[in-house]
Amino acid sequence: MRIASIFADNLGSQLFNGIFSWQFLQFIVAFLSFFGFVLTSAVILILAERKVMGWMQDRVGPIHTGPWGLLQTVADVGKLLMKEDIHASQTDKTLFIVAPSVFLAPVIGAFAVLPLSPYVGLPGTALATGIVYYVALSSIDVVGVVMAGWSSNNKYSLIGGLRSAAQMISYELPLVLALVGVVMLTSILSNSGLGTISVRDMVTYQTANLYPGKGIGFFDFIFQGDTPWAWFFLVQPLMFVIYYTCGLAETNRAPFDLPEAESELVAGYLTEYSGMRWALFYLGEYGNMTIVSSIAAYLFLGGFAGPGVGFLTGLGNPGWGLLGNLLAVGYFIFKVYLLCFVFIWVRSTLPRLRADQLMQFAWLILIPTTLINILITGLIYLVMASFGSPNWLFLIVLGAVNWLMLLAFIRVVSQATVATTRRAQAPAIRARRRADAVAGQLPERTSVASGAQK
Amino acid sequence: MVTNQSGLLPESIEGSEGVKTQEMLLNMGPQHPSTHGVLRLVLMLEGETVVDCTPVIGYLHRGIEKILENRPVMGGIRYMDNADYLSPMLNEIAYVGAVEQEMGIEAPKRAQYIRLLVGEMQRIASHLVAVGTYGLDLGAFTPVLWTFRDREGILSLFEALGGSRFNVNYLRVGGVLHDFPKDWLKECEAFFDQLDKNMAELETLLTGNEIFEARTQGVGYIDQQQAIAYGLTGPMLRASGVNWDLRVNRPYMAYREVPVNVQVRQEGDCFARYKVRMQEIWESIRLCRVAIDKMPGGAISTRTPIALRPPRGETYFAIESSKGELGIYFISDGSEYPWRAKIRGPSFVNLSILPEILRGHKMGDVVAILGSTDIVLGEVDR
Repeated sequence: MRIASIFADNLGSQLFNGIFSWQFLQFIVAFLSFFGFVLTSAVILILAERKVMGWMQDRVGPIHTGPWGLLQTVADVGKLLMKEDIHASQTDKTLFIVAPSVFLAPVIGAFAVLPLSPYVGLPGTALATGIVYYVALSSIDVVGVVMAGWSSNNKYSLIGGLRSAAQMISYELPLVLALVGVVMLTSILSNSGLGTISVRDMVTYQTANLYPGKGIGFFDFIFQGDTPWAWFFLVQPLMFVIYYTCGLAETNRAPFDLPEAESELVAGYLTEYSGMRWALFYLGEYGNMTIVSSIAAYLFLGGFAGPGVGFLTGLGNPGWGLLGNLLAVGYFIFKVYLLCFVFIWVRSTLPRLRADQLMQFAWLILIPTTLINILITGLIYLVMASFGSPNWLFLIVLGAVNWLMLLAFIRVVSQATVATTRRAQAPAIRARRRADAVAGQLPERTSVASGAQK
Repeated sequence: MVTNQSGLLPESIEGSEGVKTQEMLLNMGPQHPSTHGVLRLVLMLEGETVVDCTPVIGYLHRGIEKILENRPVMGGIRYMDNADYLSPMLNEIAYVGAVEQEMGIEAPKRAQYIRLLVGEMQRIASHLVAVGTYGLDLGAFTPVLWTFRDREGILSLFEALGGSRFNVNYLRVGGVLHDFPKDWLKECEAFFDQLDKNMAELETLLTGNEIFEARTQGVGYIDQQQAIAYGLTGPMLRASGVNWDLRVNRPYMAYREVPVNVQVRQEGDCFARYKVRMQEIWESIRLCRVAIDKMPGGAISTRTPIALRPPRGETYFAIESSKGELGIYFISDGSEYPWRAKIRGPSFVNLSILPEILRGHKMGDVVAILGSTDIVLGEVDR
């Protein structure tokens, strides 16, 4: 009895202290703003996609709802919320209902490790294993897709779900291996030899170490905490390209949108979904786009770093610190949307791959390339460390090698495409050679024309 | 249990307890985004590989041939528009040509050149749709909107000419309905100048694209003998290396004076068919310019009786439509109504080879091959 009351007292006071502490308030605000960020980001991206694709395709996109069509997605969401919830007959009800949530939840969960600025972020941003967490969550998505495909009682959905299982698992590997290159860089750059897999720490490796304050106000303002020449996409451009490509495949975006290939599978695993459940899938897809772009921005483009951020937050003044944080949020969102724009750009340019070509691309080209890159990064470090060369020289050499590898990669991919298409054409070419021998003996049909013009 | 007669299935799948593989029957269509209307393909799939395919047609049957029998000859022209609804002008040329051949009259020179001009414009419009929707079938979203924008220019010119964008009803037995509106030819020339630029842009988007080439080259191969055996015509035939074009081999109307460069490619795959269509668009632009330059003066129509009574007899008249040989087998019993007007639709004949070339291809190739045959269900079902 007494023990219980002490326990309750303690628990009560702990709860009281917890709920009315600043940390908890900060958490609530951060959580709500992040949740809002995911949802509004999806809505904005949908509108942006329609507008940008419209311009690229010589049309105007939505213009009627609201000024300049800005409220189109809002109206769409309203419509979707009010639509009837339709189940096709003989679906697996439970799976059918749960699937959209299983698809969306990891997307929102993955945002927990993404800081928007040095201070703005959920408590999860302190997680030391941020990248592993993100990778783990992004591979849960596929479960939702397979559930949707299986439970819909529709053959198109089934094919779409199975395709996406194969695709997402295959592209998970090069995606992770591409990130390994960056993690190796941090371990080499750190003095202790221990790298980081925390998303937040990634930014410090790309910024802080490489600009000692010079004392000249203007340059300090621009370059303190913002050293674009040390961003990892300059050192590992090939990994950036491969990560981004795998990101396209992970999010089921063109040219890897096979699971929902409209011209083949109607809408793939989404075929039987309508109303808000369909909207949840859509939300998840665009949220996924934001996440892939955010991770790319963090690991390769310096994250929230930009002119003024490091300087203002380093002053120690709360007012200037706040301004610096707002600037950081601005830079971060700008970089994320820049990458999302490339998503849209790619979609309106490229046709879709075929399922087997998609698999070949992952297993025969992307995975070997990333493995070779890991090998080369390590080798170059070992060789240069044995000569006792400084880190900056190592970065320059590695960057040069990697840019060369990028050019070689593009060359190899185009050559491989040509070679495989040549091989596919081989029967046609052989047949043409055979046909050339009898080309002169083709029947003349002019006489067949019964009523040739008078 | 699946029998392993072909030896294709691995033993482990066949032998293990409780594991069973089964071919899947998939009804693709008639409501499907990429069956170009209401074609239904009954596909037998093994995994993603097509084992068998049965096209089911007839969902767009409107009895056009029967309607033609129940309308006076002039009244039938308007219904011919609907057969291949992507190239109504060419349909009209075929029908009108058949009646003229039966009656033994010939349109004046100016009318013949006008027919050549609008016919080639219609061919451009039809090929633009074919190329654009082919891009859409392969997942490229942009080409279809660009080509429809260009096609819209042609339809606007037709609207100025005949009063209607689509079912133009512009040709008449013995000539055409109206002469050009003022400055129409200048508008045409301006349009073709613009089309040159747009086509060059389209080529950069599709033709050199590596994914596009990987999706189309070597896919859906038809060899020369097979193409002839199935009676294929048009771009399908010419992409297989057979140099056969009715505009050259059996020239009709103004084609007897205007030489045509026939576009032939040897590969016989989807890419070759796409490429032939693209080259034919360029060739048609050239022909249109030639027709505008050589446009003779004079009457646009011969005098024909108000009630047309083709003499008793039968005739076959074929033109090179955008899809291939579009023939009209016209039988007249001497009355005002055709006794029979059989349409030899190129889409129908070209569709017949589909099961043959689909077999063994992947699911994703089904739409690639179907798109490359460029069928119009209005003409298949009639």
